[in-house]
Amino acid sequence: MSSQETKKYPSVLLQNRHPDRIATLDEYRRSGGYEGLTALLGAGNPKQAQQVLLDANLLGRGGAAFPAGKKMMTIAENAPFPRYVVCNADEMEPGTFKDRVLIFADPHQLIEGIVIAGYAARASHGIIFIRPEYEQAARIMEREIEVARSEGLVGRNILQSGYDMEIVVHRSGGRYICGEATAQINALMGVRPNPKQPPPYPTTKGLWQRPTVVQNVETLCCMPHILRNGAQWFGSLALTENGAGTKVFCVSGRVERPGCYELPMGVPLKEIVEVHAGGIKNGGRFKACLPGGASTAFVPARLYDIPMDYESLKQEGFRLGTAAVMVFDHSDCLVDATVNLLDFFARESCGWCTPCRDGLPYIRDLMKRVEAGRGSTETIEKIETMCRHMWSAYCAFAPGAVSPVQGLMAEFKDEVMAHVEQGGCPFK
Amino acid sequence: MIPEPTLSHLKDRIAAADHPRELVVDVMFALQEHYGYLSDEAVETTGALLGMSPLQVEELATFYTFLYREPVGRYVIHLCDSVICWLDGAESLRDHLCRKLKIEMGRTTPDGLFTLLPVCCIGYCDRSPAMLVNRKVYGPLTPEKVDELLEKLKQESE
Amino acid sequence: MPKLIIDDISVAVPEGTKVIEAAEQVGIHIPRFCYHPALGSVGACRVCAVKFLQGPFKGVQMSCMIEAADGMVVSTTDPEAVDFRRHVIEWLMINHPHDCPVCDEGGHCLLQDMTVSGGHGMRRYQGKKRTYLDQDLGPLVQHEMNRCIQCYRCSRFYQEYAGYRDLGVMGIASRVYYGRFGPGTLKSPFSGNLIDICPTGVYTDRPSRYKGRRWDYERTPSVCIHCCLGCRITVNVRYREVVRIEARYSPTVNGHFICDRGRYGFFYASSDRRPRKARSGGAETRPKNARDEAAHRLEEITARHGSGSVAVVGGSRSTLETLAAERRICRQLGWQGPSLFTGTEESAAARRAAGHLTTDLAVSLEALKNADLILVAGADPINEAPMAALAIRQAARNGAHIEVIDPRPVTLPLEYVHRPAGTDKISEILRGLGKPSTEDASGDIQDLAARLDQSRRPVVVCGAGKIASERTVEQAARLARNLRRAGKKAGLFFVMTGANTFAACRMAGDPADLETLLLMIEDGKVRALVVVEADPMSEYPDLARLVDALAKLDLMVVLDCIDTETARAAHVFFPTQTFFETGGTLINNEARIQQARPAFAGGTPISQTGGGSHPPRVFRDDIPGTEALSAGQLLMDIVSALSGGISRSVEEFDGVAPEFSGFDPVEATGERGTWAKLPLRTAAGPDSPQMGGETPIKKGELLLVESVYGTEALSRSSPWLQELESEPALTLHPEDASRWGLQHGDRCELSTEAGALTVPVHTSRSTAPGTLVLPRHRRLRWQVFQHFRSGLDTVRIRKTGGEGA
Ligand SMILES: Cc1cc2nc3c(=O)[nH]c(=O)nc-3n(C[C@H](O)[C@H](O)[C@H](O)COP(=O)(O)O)c2cc1C
Ligand code: SF4
Ligand code: SF4
Ligand code: SF4
Ligand code: FES
Ligand code: FES
Repeated sequence: MSSQETKKYPSVLLQNRHPDRIATLDEYRRSGGYEGLTALLGAGNPKQAQQVLLDANLLGRGGAAFPAGKKMMTIAENAPFPRYVVCNADEMEPGTFKDRVLIFADPHQLIEGIVIAGYAARASHGIIFIRPEYEQAARIMEREIEVARSEGLVGRNILQSGYDMEIVVHRSGGRYICGEATAQINALMGVRPNPKQPPPYPTTKGLWQRPTVVQNVETLCCMPHILRNGAQWFGSLALTENGAGTKVFCVSGRVERPGCYELPMGVPLKEIVEVHAGGIKNGGRFKACLPGGASTAFVPARLYDIPMDYESLKQEGFRLGTAAVMVFDHSDCLVDATVNLLDFFARESCGWCTPCRDGLPYIRDLMKRVEAGRGSTETIEKIETMCRHMWSAYCAFAPGAVSPVQGLMAEFKDEVMAHVEQGGCPFK
Repeated sequence: MIPEPTLSHLKDRIAAADHPRELVVDVMFALQEHYGYLSDEAVETTGALLGMSPLQVEELATFYTFLYREPVGRYVIHLCDSVICWLDGAESLRDHLCRKLKIEMGRTTPDGLFTLLPVCCIGYCDRSPAMLVNRKVYGPLTPEKVDELLEKLKQESE
Repeated sequence: MPKLIIDDISVAVPEGTKVIEAAEQVGIHIPRFCYHPALGSVGACRVCAVKFLQGPFKGVQMSCMIEAADGMVVSTTDPEAVDFRRHVIEWLMINHPHDCPVCDEGGHCLLQDMTVSGGHGMRRYQGKKRTYLDQDLGPLVQHEMNRCIQCYRCSRFYQEYAGYRDLGVMGIASRVYYGRFGPGTLKSPFSGNLIDICPTGVYTDRPSRYKGRRWDYERTPSVCIHCCLGCRITVNVRYREVVRIEARYSPTVNGHFICDRGRYGFFYASSDRRPRKARSGGAETRPKNARDEAAHRLEEITARHGSGSVAVVGGSRSTLETLAAERRICRQLGWQGPSLFTGTEESAAARRAAGHLTTDLAVSLEALKNADLILVAGADPINEAPMAALAIRQAARNGAHIEVIDPRPVTLPLEYVHRPAGTDKISEILRGLGKPSTEDASGDIQDLAARLDQSRRPVVVCGAGKIASERTVEQAARLARNLRRAGKKAGLFFVMTGANTFAACRMAGDPADLETLLLMIEDGKVRALVVVEADPMSEYPDLARLVDALAKLDLMVVLDCIDTETARAAHVFFPTQTFFETGGTLINNEARIQQARPAFAGGTPISQTGGGSHPPRVFRDDIPGTEALSAGQLLMDIVSALSGGISRSVEEFDGVAPEFSGFDPVEATGERGTWAKLPLRTAAGPDSPQMGGETPIKKGELLLVESVYGTEALSRSSPWLQELESEPALTLHPEDASRWGLQHGDRCELSTEAGALTVPVHTSRSTAPGTLVLPRHRRLRWQVFQHFRSGLDTVRIRKTGGEGA
């Protein structure tokens, strides 16, 4: 974190981050914490909050990049109560660990974000859905919620405004699919966490059939700052025209300094890797990265300069996902890496729909054959066809699962074919 | 039998909940804590506490990674095998652990001390290769660090 | 009505119709696994994919998940969609064991059909197959999990549709497993439907295991005769043996499903204990001899004592044809009866119910699902008419409020309010509710009254027979009628005692019931009985009195297809054909006329005549075991041999009863499922005269009740269902129990002057205080209590087992 170059960008979400401890409520307050909420509860109204979130162009940081303000606005004026805000702290996308870092850095930032989202959605209950691996983070949140409560920031009559909101922590039993919003709602209701295809959308009929807003930790953490500093300020944080805000990038893999870096939206990929993460380890060459977790496609070296924001990647046919940048160097076999990714997806499929449940193990089997040098052009065609069909699965899991495979086939066909032609892995 | 304080604490929480079923994972975890794993009895008790049938509890118990329906060792080692840890040698670490503990993945040492399970990315890719022991994270790991840790845990248990 | 084009055919369908259903309307059957019309769409299997070319959706989409909309152009044959479906099937088959040659589903397996029609003919997958261990699910359903294609139909049916919680889905990813928490008998009385809905061979019919292929069977549409609802079934016969019953779709009665009593109650039809020979004085004789003897002795008796000295006793498991023959004979020959009910009260209640059912009030089982409030009064659906419980559950799932007023510990697989009221209180409560102004309703039913007031489609489900009194029936009908007058789409649904009780109400003569007839036997007026498909000795509540009375008879002729106690006591006995062999007409509780064709010609099954070898080694030109005739025909044959006797076809109904003149069962019911109803009054006439109040129960009451297994005359001999019976027990309120020092789990002796029996004690807070409930179970000698509802002043209760006994 102490590298000189990082200083040239403002630190927003991670401004109170310490290497060895958690920011206290006082520290958070000193940095302007709870000012946004105070102002909102004092002179604002829910509609206003929704509007400013929309104007700020705050896109969901959990992977789907849906505008947060727009999501809130889909709740009908006369929709029933109680309404819920679910803070998605499941973070099971491989390569992603920003939510953990955000909680450890500054838990009150998240609490304030949840209360703001709650107020905007006129919700009375906030639930933090957290993966079991993050038990320590769960305890931090529970403790800090109590601190906030004792300060009148959570619970009944928040800041004497008449607004009530309770926040609880819900521990997951641990499954990737629980991160998917509708599956998460099922998990919270104590039924099998299979996704549920809309309509109805969670904002119409979510948790306990009531309007529910599911929002990622980082998305929620942005909200206090937007309310305090305004939509325009948030937009100006980005380096690109279409971007807004900062982004917490989780960099891992073949880099010198893996970790979380809060950088402006639109920062070039190369800068993230070469400057902030200290460059490729052991003098290696950048070969590719998964830009946003395991369910995105490999970005090849030819796009090393690409600005990392939702729009720029989309234009090249990629997705920013969770902005978990997983870096591979010249010595890594991407076919082998893809087999590993498929292992993950085949294991974590929720088992609801056929393409994903049975098709992914099939593709994995084929991919393993290719990796072992037992594939043929026909095998590769089969893989490609099945990957295409995976987009007709029930939820976004399966398209995500085949994204790296499709990326591999699109950008690294030579490497794949080398396996076929040499009858084995050229990297071994 | 579950100790009375645990049970009454659970009962209180259930009574206070708007929707008792939302606590099902918590209840399973609490009973797993007590039994060491989620025994048949624990499944049945969970059902009885929440007005669910044992099957309905089982439907959930068998879905989640961190609910163990079979006995496990005192230390449950979840070794991450997802892509970043894999890049950083998770496979050789796995082989090392298996050799060291003389068990295959998915098994428990005969002394009942260690259970070895794979797990997908645990969100510590900045500390790869990483693993959890009783949900506490360790990483970045080397075979030496693993040996040290195993030794320490063995001693702790004596 | 959205209009769309599917494969160049344009079709308009009602709002809300899914594309998969719309396609069906133009004869295009889109493949499906998870979709089932009763269970709805969930989009899990992905095999129903079609290509949307124009309209609000584009590309390959699931036809079960998308509602038809204007402007849609859909192609089911688009190469992309076809290729996707082919892949789905290939994926589903990667773990399939390919054991069709030994799979009982083979030949009627949706997966087989889809695999072939989907073009997946070559196995390409080279990986290993995942395998599972199976579970023992009890005597009805066989489990073979390796064949599963994870369509989730079973778990959805079992838990969501039927409301039972012991079968579901476990595990995750490609290891999902459908079954129970542990091996053990399925608890749902609707478990057999798993067999029908599973698109592959995971659940197959256990009793018929390895008996044949679907195409080997003689398959005939028929009607279930194990309760009053008359669910539609398909009978499967092979080698003169009824081997399997399946649910048959009926849009108005049972929908897609049937209950396990109806599915597995057929054992009697092919049992090796089925009587195949006529008997005289207990010894087998030739049919003609028996007929001559019966005719001769009846002749003698009428000659000596007059025609009124002969009576016909029948029952509600007979067809309309047989009941009509009984009625015609009694009327023309001046015989007594036919007495078609057991007791006076039962007959009065049933006949009042039949009289009150008007065309505007009568609701079908299917329509029951659309009610927004269901009031169950004096009925216990699961035990008396199981499929009614399933229909009520669907109403509840659609948001209906369900309330039960019954003294029994009624359990339904759904959420409901139970008001345990004594049998004498039910009519009072209904009367309170039926008052035009709900202000009159007494305090504790205010709430229900208010709900009724707000409801738009309320239905009163009322018992009509042994438990619910005539007054209860009367008040239920009044309530329904008042609700209708208040502008609601109110309905009335009676739960009757037998398959053809409604017909019995119209066909019963004088006396209508056995209880009254017994008086005539006792004073010597009636000297001969012709008992047709009825078994008073197992069904009359006062056995001692019955036995004494029967002993006074000069002659008892019994016609039946099962070897009952009564049959064994007969002077002359005739075996009759079962409903499977005769076919015939039944009128269900809604007055719906349903006709079944004969499913087979009868005869002793080859499995019994072959002595284990097949084909049989002895060649003969007749079919063994076919002496039996239909009861109605037999009756006609006997009386035609009497001097002055009549000879008419049993299919003629002229002059039998007013609403049946010109009635032709085949025409009335149509050829293809357009079931007509019995002519009813079109609307309520003037209210019938007010009846007096109930006789209040003094010291409490013992009720002899029906249970889902073990009480109904035909199904109770099924060995498979017998395995499911729980030990019959006395159920009472715990506070009542303590009056006799009883606790749950104790044993107690119940005795009257006529005898005693010992049963386990169950306590239940949902039993009405003062009410003791005992099933009329085949394993209990319950006919010591004299009445189906008897005052506790005549019953002694003594603890015989348990703590402190
Ligand atoms: C398979 C799958 C896994 C997901 N996992 C997560 C997750 O772990 N955390 C998360 O915030 N969103 C996850 N999402 C995205 C959520 O469905 C949802 O879009 C998000 O939580 C909404 O919050 P946001 O708009 O603030 O991003 C996942 C989506 C899919 C399809
Ligand atoms: S794609 Fe299907 S099986 Fe995979 S996670 Fe989504 S719903 Fe489950
Ligand atoms: S057992 Fe049958 S009904 Fe159930 S999921 Fe498997 S294939 Fe479908
Ligand atoms: S509900 Fe009645 S008619 Fe229907 S299947 Fe069951 S026993 Fe037969
Ligand atoms: S890949 Fe191992 S912790 Fe993320
Ligand atoms: S039938 Fe449409 S997805 Fe299964």
